[in-house]
Amino acid sequence: MKVVVTASGPSPDSPVDPRFGRAPYFVLYDDGEYRVVENPASRAWGGAGIQAAQQVVSLGAKVVITGSVGPNAAQALRSAGIQVYMGTGTVREAVERYLRGELRRIL
Amino acid sequence: MIAVTGVKGGVGKSTYAVLLARRMKGKVVLCDCDVEAPNLHLLLGVSLRDPVDHMYYEYPEIDESKCLRCGECVKACRKNALFWTPGSVPKLFKEMCIGCGACKLRCPYGAITMKKEAVGDIFVSEVGNITLVTGRSDPRVPETGEMVEQVLEYARNIPHDVLILDTAAGAHCPVVSALREAEEVRVVTEPTPLGYHDLRVALKLLSKLGKRGKVVINKAGIGDEGPIYRIAEEFGAEVIEKVPYSREIIRKYSEGRL
Repeated sequence: MKVVVTASGPSPDSPVDPRFGRAPYFVLYDDGEYRVVENPASRAWGGAGIQAAQQVVSLGAKVVITGSVGPNAAQALRSAGIQVYMGTGTVREAVERYLRGELRRIL
Repeated sequence: MIAVTGVKGGVGKSTYAVLLARRMKGKVVLCDCDVEAPNLHLLLGVSLRDPVDHMYYEYPEIDESKCLRCGECVKACRKNALFWTPGSVPKLFKEMCIGCGACKLRCPYGAITMKKEAVGDIFVSEVGNITLVTGRSDPRVPETGEMVEQVLEYARNIPHDVLILDTAAGAHCPVVSALREAEEVRVVTEPTPLGYHDLRVALKLLSKLGKRGKVVINKAGIGDEGPIYRIAEEFGAEVIEKVPYSREIIRKYSEGRL
């Protein structure tokens, strides 16, 4: 199960970035492994949420952990069948809480 | 065709455009090219009702029977207006789309056609010897350069002795669209530090467009005009006129009787 967490820094120990489209990094969690990728949408002029959703799709994730998603991103993520959960703390903490079923699903 | 521009907001572009139109002889067409926030009608004391025409955007429409779900159109989109998941027909986010047609050009299967849709109105009002042409865009559209060209085209086709156009503030697409065809450009500035700064931006933009502006000093008398003359000289532009800082102009402006 692949999970994308929006992060304000390039590490699993960075805080979860509350913004989806504009978060500078995405941390991909895949079966115990963490991989950091940049989120090019964070520098987009417009349509960051849609571009970020496109990136989640191309990473093959089915779950996103973030703070909140805008209306366009929500529509895109929903049409791709991706679940969104609200997370806080560090990326690692958020993933662990998600795995224990403690995060609230927002989409 | 005389364009009135100036980059800085509130410098007096619209005021000057109306004053210029008022003193011209013959049939004057005045075109409000600030389609995102038109205001010349307010200065002239008329209201906008009953549009005579519209401004259009062209949105892509994907023929699902021709689409092979390759995602090429999504990659071509610079505005992130298309979204897809492998195996599905891309979905258009209309409010992001600027109708550039790059997706249609890229589609290898001819599955995309562009469909016209009205996204703004054109109004015509008669005030004395002035025919005011106003474009007003739907506030949801992300870019208006193309629409400025449409309203300008409408204005150009009305018989006239002189056509004056008033651009938006700034130096971005809708301003460039308005200036491109102008034979003469008057740059309105004011003797303030921001006025100096934006005068330089305006003259730089004009030189990129291969044009030389003529400088108009508005609110003359409120500050040092030296820097304006120096910047104008740097770009080979002439200061042709000054509009005094006057209570009467301000009063008439605010009452819609300019």
